[in-house]
Amino acid sequence: MIKGMLIHQHQLVDENMSNLTSASGEASVSSNHQSSFASPNPNPPKKKRNLPGNPDPDAEVIALSPKTLMATNRFACEICNKGFQRDQNLQLHRRGHNLPWKLKQRSSKEVRKKVYVCPEATCVHHEPSRALGDLTGIKKHFSRKHGEKKWKCDKCSKKYAVQSDWKAHSKICGTREYRCDCGTLFSRRDSFITHRAFCDALAEESARAMAANPFANHLFSQPTASCETSTMQVQSTILRSQFPHMMRANEANTSIVSGHGMQGELSPDREHQPRQFDMRSNIPPWLACQGPITTSLNHLDLPSSSSSVYSVRLQQEYSRENPPVHRPPIPPAFQPSASSPHMSATALLQKAAEMGATMSRPKHLGLTAAHATSSAVPPNNTASFALGLSSHQEMGNGTGGGDASGGRGGGVIGGFAQESSPPPLLLHDMVTPSLSSTPGFDGPFEDAFRGMLESKGEESNSSMGGFARSHRMVEEGGGGSGGNDGMTRDFLGLKPFPQRDILDLTGFDPCLSSPSYAQHRQSKKPCHGQLLPEM
Amino acid sequence: MMQFTRSAPPLTSIHPNGLGLCLDDDASKHSLHRSWPWPWSGLLTSSKSLGRLNTASCMEQLLVHCANAIESNDATLAQQILWVLNNIAPPDGDSNQRLTSAFLRALIARASKTGSCKMLTAVAARADADLALHLHRFSAIDLASFIDLTPWHRFGYAAANAAIVEAVEGLPVVHIIDLSTTHCMQVPTLIDLLANRPEGPPFIRLTVPTFTTTATPPMLDMSYDELGSRLVNFARSRNVAMEFIMIPSDPSDAFDSLIEHLRVQRLVSEGEAVIVNCQMLLHYIPEETVGAIVSTMNVNSPIPSLRTMFLKALRSLEPTLVTLVDEDADFTACDVVGRLRSAFNYLWIPYDAVDTFLPKGSEQRRWYEAGLCWKIENVIAQEGLQRVERQEPKGRWGQRMRAAGFRSVGFTEEAAREVNSMLGEHAAGWGSKREDEDLMLTWKGHNVVFASAWMPS
Repeated sequence: MIKGMLIHQHQLVDENMSNLTSASGEASVSSNHQSSFASPNPNPPKKKRNLPGNPDPDAEVIALSPKTLMATNRFACEICNKGFQRDQNLQLHRRGHNLPWKLKQRSSKEVRKKVYVCPEATCVHHEPSRALGDLTGIKKHFSRKHGEKKWKCDKCSKKYAVQSDWKAHSKICGTREYRCDCGTLFSRRDSFITHRAFCDALAEESARAMAANPFANHLFSQPTASCETSTMQVQSTILRSQFPHMMRANEANTSIVSGHGMQGELSPDREHQPRQFDMRSNIPPWLACQGPITTSLNHLDLPSSSSSVYSVRLQQEYSRENPPVHRPPIPPAFQPSASSPHMSATALLQKAAEMGATMSRPKHLGLTAAHATSSAVPPNNTASFALGLSSHQEMGNGTGGGDASGGRGGGVIGGFAQESSPPPLLLHDMVTPSLSSTPGFDGPFEDAFRGMLESKGEESNSSMGGFARSHRMVEEGGGGSGGNDGMTRDFLGLKPFPQRDILDLTGFDPCLSSPSYAQHRQSKKPCHGQLLPEM
Repeated sequence: MMQFTRSAPPLTSIHPNGLGLCLDDDASKHSLHRSWPWPWSGLLTSSKSLGRLNTASCMEQLLVHCANAIESNDATLAQQILWVLNNIAPPDGDSNQRLTSAFLRALIARASKTGSCKMLTAVAARADADLALHLHRFSAIDLASFIDLTPWHRFGYAAANAAIVEAVEGLPVVHIIDLSTTHCMQVPTLIDLLANRPEGPPFIRLTVPTFTTTATPPMLDMSYDELGSRLVNFARSRNVAMEFIMIPSDPSDAFDSLIEHLRVQRLVSEGEAVIVNCQMLLHYIPEETVGAIVSTMNVNSPIPSLRTMFLKALRSLEPTLVTLVDEDADFTACDVVGRLRSAFNYLWIPYDAVDTFLPKGSEQRRWYEAGLCWKIENVIAQEGLQRVERQEPKGRWGQRMRAAGFRSVGFTEEAAREVNSMLGEHAAGWGSKREDEDLMLTWKGHNVVFASAWMPS
């Protein structure tokens, strides 16, 4: 025992016990230096009244005897002999007998913090520094650790010393069981879900679904670890996540082959569409696919051999172009209900174009010339298209900025087309089959981009806005096709601009006075490829 | 550097039978003139009395004295105390003993780094060999079941998930930046919650850093490629569209490259709700005390810490929500004795808790305690940039967040209920309480892990 601490013997404590309310589950005050729940002002550093390891000298350490801890119903009514654990309860009961009763009021002065130690000498909690903050806690601890396990579960063999533990267990024993396909059982849903996400059983199930569905061939192939694989995998990753309804490995239905079949499967889900549509109405139209699922499904009747969902998608995108019929945009989850390769390229390029729209020179919009000169492109070429918001990342690595940005190991799962494969060339080919020239937009584009970024991050909201605008860009772009590849390459093989600009742009304080941090930044820059490579 | 006194006792002076230490005269004279009390000099005369040392506070005192001896290059005293500790704290004893044993090894490692004592180096080498299986590499499935053994991690996951789901209510595109030490183990339950939204799931973009230099337990035996593809697959199976992005970035430079990436991402994609989920990871970012050690030149100008910069950078991303979960302890003291006290009075908790859920001799228990040993060794034996375990208490993180321009938003009653029901499925000693606006996980009433939620102010 540590001397110098006030230690009450149990006679005194009886009184204290009766005054205490049940504290289990409520905020319990620890005797360590970190008790703070009553602090009124969180800002100033808490006054450390004691060093770690030394119990709060102001806390009253109470050592109850085993008998006291295990005692129940120590207060008995003299009339009917009913037992109560607390004096307060007995007093209230006495009222019923019309006996004189008296409730002890909580004293108005500050109540001293009380902590309890376990009477068992070998126990960890025997020491004041490990005392427990509430009475119920120490009672339960003593029972659990040093007491006899009197309560036994009916269904399983578990035994408990504390009745509430036993009750809590009985409630859940055998009631909820989550079973994973691999055979493991869980009583907790969160454990089950976490397990399932990484379980091979899920992977196998999707593999089975893939095998059953030829369209899904490319979708669910697990990407190799290497980042240098083709962009197909990039797309496959995005796609895989974007075709949940179509490609879901439905337990009930794994034989998804024909478009109709899928359509059938999907119909119940279509009622969700309107809701999701509303939800997603604030998504830029270029991002949302157009065309109801039925349309997209119709296009699924494709020769299956090498038809990836991409080709499906591309065809659908294409059809989107033609009619001015309004179709509800499909949420990004269904994004690829597009038609031609050009369309998806266009979607991509439009995005770039829109970004460019915020820049001073719209000439680069020649990117979308592809659309004007659209021709049937064999599905294979669609391999080069990445979609959506990571487009810039993927493309950037192909050429130009390849050296600096090539170092970037990250990126969309499945790997980027890194320096080894030439997707931008494919894009180039598709976009402007007739062109073969070298980038001619170094200067203007880069300046434009720089201009945009340097304008303190003022992004034009309109960049994401009108599809009509995109159309305009498309038309304009026809003439500027010479800049296409220049655009694609240069946009992503950006000429780097000084780090400082980025910092200013985003309001980040460069903290030049910090050599270590600055060094970190500068020394690290060349190592991991940046989207915007440094000079 | 530890130096032997001229007549320093070699190994032979320490008898294994516990019956007094035969020191030769000079050494004994030297050892008797201690500037701090040496209360056990009398106790060591008989092996029976060693039993009286077998309490947590005595062990702590011994460890403190040992640390002081090491710091002052007193090889003699250090060896003596180490011998005593070794006898009273076997690595397979009760929870206090195992805790002390871990600290013992850490002190030995520290001494061997700073000293030229051959004995210590030999012992340290042996200890290192034992701990070579330290960083067990978990498969994803094993890790999933491992982190669910206690609420240590699950508490933060549950609180953060509840706050995230509420914050992105109605939003169609959610970009989650997952900064955690447990390799996306939180993500499946988050996907599940978002998949069950009444308005339908959002599109999820998940960005994670892949560390380049820092390596902390638990270690994963799977590439992040594979991990991500499984997550995307799982999302798909729940009808959730998801994109997984890995960015090589390390806490040692405050995730510089990740921040850069996010900045550009922000320029490119509007309308996405950015959620930064920090689970026990931010304390690996170096802070002011590291700066003080690393660059002693700029004494006058205040060295902005990487933590401050990082939080400011986060703020500049205009996130919808930042969840900050970390261990409520202070391991930032510059002196090893201060850290030792803090660590000893915090890390007894996991040692105490493990008895309730893992039997002795189980493999998982070995991994669990090995992870704790790693932590202790890092706090005690490492310095400078190698010492990555730099936990700060909740109050200080709160100050940092407010200084960076965030305000605390707290957790709803429902979130607290979720957390409590999760805790109800664990051993009885775990509890949860509200502290200011935050939630605090407790073990037998002592603070363990805090969870806080922040929005730009």
